[in-house]
Amino acid sequence: MRLLLAEDDPDLAGRLKHYLGRQGFAVDAVDNGVDAEFNACEIPYDVIVLDLGLPQRSGLEVLSNWRRSRMQAPVLILTARDTWQEKVQGLQAGADDYLTKPFREEELLARLQALVRRSTGTVGETLAVDGWTLDEASQSVSRGEHHWQLTGTEFRLLRYFMLHPGRILSRSRLTEHVYEQDADRDSNVIEVYVRRLREKLGQDIITTRRGQGYVFGRLT
Amino acid sequence: MRSLRSRLGLGLIASLVVMLGLLWMTVGYSVRVLMEEQLATRLEHDAESLLGGISIDASGAVTLDSQRIQGIYRQPHSGHYYQIRIDSQVRRSRSLWDETLPVQEPAVGEARQAFISGPQQQPLLIWTGAYRKQGKVVHISVAEDLTVMRVGVRRFQWRLLVWSLAVVLVLLLIQQYIIARSLRPVSAAAQDIARLEQGEITELHEQVPDEVRPLVHAINTLLQRQQQRLQRSREALGNLAHSIKTPLTVLQQLATEKIPASDIAAHEQLDGFSRQIDLLVNASLRRARLAGDGLGASHFDLYRDLPMLLDTLGRLHHRERSITVQQELGDTRQLPLEQQDGMELLGNLLDNAWKWAHSTIRLTVTADTPPAIIVEDDGSGIDAGELDHLARRGMRQDENIAGHGIGLSVVRGLVEELGGSLTLADSDALGGLKVAIRLGDR
Repeated sequence: MRLLLAEDDPDLAGRLKHYLGRQGFAVDAVDNGVDAEFNACEIPYDVIVLDLGLPQRSGLEVLSNWRRSRMQAPVLILTARDTWQEKVQGLQAGADDYLTKPFREEELLARLQALVRRSTGTVGETLAVDGWTLDEASQSVSRGEHHWQLTGTEFRLLRYFMLHPGRILSRSRLTEHVYEQDADRDSNVIEVYVRRLREKLGQDIITTRRGQGYVFGRLT
Repeated sequence: MRSLRSRLGLGLIASLVVMLGLLWMTVGYSVRVLMEEQLATRLEHDAESLLGGISIDASGAVTLDSQRIQGIYRQPHSGHYYQIRIDSQVRRSRSLWDETLPVQEPAVGEARQAFISGPQQQPLLIWTGAYRKQGKVVHISVAEDLTVMRVGVRRFQWRLLVWSLAVVLVLLLIQQYIIARSLRPVSAAAQDIARLEQGEITELHEQVPDEVRPLVHAINTLLQRQQQRLQRSREALGNLAHSIKTPLTVLQQLATEKIPASDIAAHEQLDGFSRQIDLLVNASLRRARLAGDGLGASHFDLYRDLPMLLDTLGRLHHRERSITVQQELGDTRQLPLEQQDGMELLGNLLDNAWKWAHSTIRLTVTADTPPAIIVEDDGSGIDAGELDHLARRGMRQDENIAGHGIGLSVVRGLVEELGGSLTLADSDALGGLKVAIRLGDR
């Protein structure tokens, strides 16, 4: 899950980047409105956390510009501004959720996971596809009686596959959604992790479409 | 202070009445004087004609040429009389019927006139001249009854009075029309102010006469400044919230992280503190952000603002459950609340109902002035004890209240700050809680 974090407070931004990273998000952090607007238009984020009180360009303006240029990623507004007028303005400008400070990290995580599921059309509180069930809290996967613990990258990759079952996912697309901006972005790494998932969970969990990419489950 | 209209009206009536009264008196008097002068001149001519008809012989006997005497002097009490005295001889017209005119004789060559009472109490004007003829002094008095003339003058004065009154009436009507026309922009401004108070407009029209424009302009400037100040202070409060709550978030998370999970007491204490700070900051900011009277600001519009608020609530509570909101708004379009105040009040009120409702919320706005806002839900309601506790005025916002409490105490704080009242009851229609808010009558 590629996530854009637009927050100007360095302490909070640092903590959230660290926390969300551990929860399997590839986090790009920006601290002003102009960078936030540019980044989201260039990179296909899966979800965006937006502070309203950003320097250079206000969060509300950034949001309106995104929606005007058909930027579709779900946006959660994270702000200290808690009046209903501001909530209404935020959601009318195109936000999908609104969380006021102070907040608990767990609350933010729950809302982000819900937003991602809603945007990919997945229903329910847990992610379950073709008998596979992903536990996002423990970053593990189970099928019937069996239970496998996953590493961070394995979890990110499998979650992206399970959110988009039956669809051809190119190597570059997987790279974009699994790694943050400043990570080592060699697309061969994806190949390595796909092989690891096959070794762990069975060869047929992911099939390769030559020259196109990978498919989780049966092609739809 | 009386209205400008009645002051102008009364002033104009008074000046018209005085002016036309003076005119009436002057004209009436002048006409009488003019007629009397004319009469006196005629009497003098009659006297001169009589003088020409007098002849005195050598023995001193006086004869009067009857050819020179008009018939009217021979009719008894005709109203036309003469009386001639030469030494001891007195000649009177037949019309006098043996009565004598009381005459005050002037010196020779002079004349005098007077008003006297003649035969049968006729009011007479008498003119007396003293001449010298054939060596004798001749006093000739000629008198005429004034009754006919006075009746004529009085009739003229009456007619003048009636016409004057008619003119006053017509002028008054014209003046009323002019006053009404001139004051129309002032009435329009007054209506504008009423609409301003209703929140239908946010400033007064400045197409008014020069006399009123400075006032209207001053009001508009004041309203504008008030709006700017409100907006600035709201922005400042938003920034303050931002600068307090971001570090508070970090502090809270840092403490959660550093304190071992086993130390439950420390975690509870920490939660309590940060919650208390948050609630106190929120309560103060919320109060400071209220616009209060909302004069010159746009009001909360049930057709424009409410749908957006309901949409927002629906999306924010999307994960929990979907709620049907029944709206009974009647003909009311605007609440007597500044737009953001209304958003905050209804937002908190509906948000609270949303949290506790199973599937249905009913929002009713009554047609009273000011309207009552009633929100009912089909949740489990609250028990009598908690109802009692919540109904108490001045309940502190930092108290730890379960269930409906926290949301309702926020609503109560807002309502009290806006000068309204809040009542809680069980909802007969839906079975949950019913919150009724009556706003202060401004």
